[in-house]
Amino acid sequence: MSTVQFLAEGAATPADFVAARQQMAFTLGFHIVLASIGIGLPALTLLAEWRSLRTGDRVYAELARRWMKAAGVLFAVGAVSGTVLSFEMGTLWPGFMDKYGQVFGGAFALEGIAFFIEAIFMGIYLYGWDRLSPRAHFLTGIPVVVAGILSATFVVTVNSWMNQPRGFNLVNGQVTDVSPLKAMLNPATPTEATHLILASLMVCGFLVASVYAVALLRDARAGRVDRYHRLGFAIPFTLGAVCAPLQVIVGDFASRFVASHQPAKFAAMEGIEHTQAGVPFKFATIEIPNMLSLMVKFDAHATLRGMDSIPADARPPAEVVKTSFEIMITLGMFLLALAAWWGFAWFVRRRALGRAGRLATRVDLPWKPWFLRLALTAGGAAILAMEAGWTTTEVGRQPWIVYGVMRTTEAVNPSSNLRYGLYAVLAVYAVLAAATISVLRRIRRRPDAGTPQSGPVPVGSAR
Amino acid sequence: MSYADVALGLIVLGLSAYLLFGGADFGAGLWHLFARRRTDREVIEHAMGPLWEANHVWLIFVMVMTWTAFPPIFASVMTEHWVPLSLAALGIVARGSTFVFAKAVPDHHVRYGVVFGVSSLLTPFCFGAVATAITTGDGTWLSPAGLYGGALTTALCAYLAAVYLIWDARRLADADAALRFRGYALLSGIVVGVLALPGAALIDVRSPLIIVSAVAGLVSLVLVARHRLLAVRATGALAVVSVLWGAVERAGLDLDAAAAQDTVLQFVFFALGIGALVLVPSMIWLFVLFQRSTEADAH
Repeated sequence: MSTVQFLAEGAATPADFVAARQQMAFTLGFHIVLASIGIGLPALTLLAEWRSLRTGDRVYAELARRWMKAAGVLFAVGAVSGTVLSFEMGTLWPGFMDKYGQVFGGAFALEGIAFFIEAIFMGIYLYGWDRLSPRAHFLTGIPVVVAGILSATFVVTVNSWMNQPRGFNLVNGQVTDVSPLKAMLNPATPTEATHLILASLMVCGFLVASVYAVALLRDARAGRVDRYHRLGFAIPFTLGAVCAPLQVIVGDFASRFVASHQPAKFAAMEGIEHTQAGVPFKFATIEIPNMLSLMVKFDAHATLRGMDSIPADARPPAEVVKTSFEIMITLGMFLLALAAWWGFAWFVRRRALGRAGRLATRVDLPWKPWFLRLALTAGGAAILAMEAGWTTTEVGRQPWIVYGVMRTTEAVNPSSNLRYGLYAVLAVYAVLAAATISVLRRIRRRPDAGTPQSGPVPVGSAR
Repeated sequence: MSYADVALGLIVLGLSAYLLFGGADFGAGLWHLFARRRTDREVIEHAMGPLWEANHVWLIFVMVMTWTAFPPIFASVMTEHWVPLSLAALGIVARGSTFVFAKAVPDHHVRYGVVFGVSSLLTPFCFGAVATAITTGDGTWLSPAGLYGGALTTALCAYLAAVYLIWDARRLADADAALRFRGYALLSGIVVGVLALPGAALIDVRSPLIIVSAVAGLVSLVLVARHRLLAVRATGALAVVSVLWGAVERAGLDLDAAAAQDTVLQFVFFALGIGALVLVPSMIWLFVLFQRSTEADAH
């Protein structure tokens, strides 16, 4: 089987091509949520453990244990859903791997190493709970977080490379002069990696907070105050809230980068049909003249490229890109607003606590039921925003799998019946998702005895 | 020796580790499926201990190495065998997740047990079938050679697991359980021998490794019978892994034409070297902690 064959044949049928894309999108969309939690939950655990070491407060320690137990389960599911992705790289996109596997392979090698370090330290952290000194135990958690962020970054360099391919030359269609480092350090990497890591911290923070928002609302109805629930909400929600404004800034950089480097994607995102000067900003029914030009180029009369400047066979499906981009922006703003309120309410509470004759309404401002009800939706909103952003960047790159260099149709597995693979994956993942949620619910209910033996530990067979 | 040879060497090493460690995990899942007694199942669960199946790291290593070092080979193998390889991947999903679920919520064990066992059978079968199809260079996983290779690989996994588990059974349960696993080891050892030798002749493997495998297998049977439980781990592993090496030799891979550029391979080797400096000491630390905790459990 030669390279040329992939280039010439493409998919067996259009339906198989669509199935391959849907399968990749679905499994990646599934994995991305688990991977986000895999980055965020150890960070939350460490935050709680750090507070517990500093204050000696047992509630923090209890939260840390519960979160790490959930992190262990989700890590295991994430590990297998990640393994599926590495299979799919070959079973779905062999043309891509055939030609460019060596260019970005180095990044995956680094990712594999970082992932393994993460797994090993997760094991040490879990088994070391009662076997190491509290300080040493806390320190063993740090490599889990660092390696998690590193491994995510290495993976994202591959995606940013697909958007901005660098580090190789094409001579008569053959890949030469490969530099794995230049491929990884392509110009899209800084914004894309930062954007995704902030997104994953937001997803995890808001999602965990959502779980405790449910408990807090129940407490409020019963007239209870439960410190465990309050801290379980406050720590993750604060993490998400701190990341939200940073994400808006990084997102702004990212969109300006796309405008200058991938005009087709940008035109799709903003729905610019014709190349023009002084482009208005449109959102839903609002239209502000010249605003988009001003936002992107800092010049109200700047020219932005429209879809009409892109050859017809190199245009992404504009509607999907635009809609998903708008969903991401809307939800991002919603989360930013919640974050701002949380910061404000906390500020008011701190000031009120400092005074004599504390005003109960001010002290309790962060725990207002209307806010908790909104915060309850923040986890889902963050996940949806992340998936929408992912859709924006992936669909916006189409019809290219490697921007400007290789079309997705050239990369796909030419075998027929790929769609049955999609059906099988959908069925297995539906069961997997249901089972994961049911197990997590049980972990939440069960009083945690805190024995590491009953908890998960990632390590090979003990032989 | 070229960089490509080093890369191939690393891939074979990774495959060997996956067969020996991951294979034993699959085999343990198989025995779990067929074990009638609760004690036996408990021994298996305990011996596997962990929640995440870290031994799949070897598989991921092999895949990343293959697509980085020999991209066209990876692409053509994955295209040609996408069906069994996708099934194997789904088997890994089912196994890995049911395993962790059972550990996390022990009271809902039974529900996950069957899925765990069946996927433990499916995945090594698919891998073995694909490996045999690649080795012989013709046919698919459902050809006679593929089916044979799948069955042989599954049996090898079962054999390895049984050999390893005798020791665990004695450590974690009682003499009776150890005796039962000894029986499983003898039985599966004989089955594997009966499967492997004529098969090797049929698919035309002519290598001194066959003799190595056969001798190591026979010695293992004797060692099992004589309760030399630590020595048999080494000879059993040798008997199994030499089957893989024989298959690699039979495949007669000449990969130089498919190899990635030297800059790529240098980068990967360098990364692996640096990674090993961190990985090896931390793995030893984890292993010590784990051993201490299982020993504490057993008492």
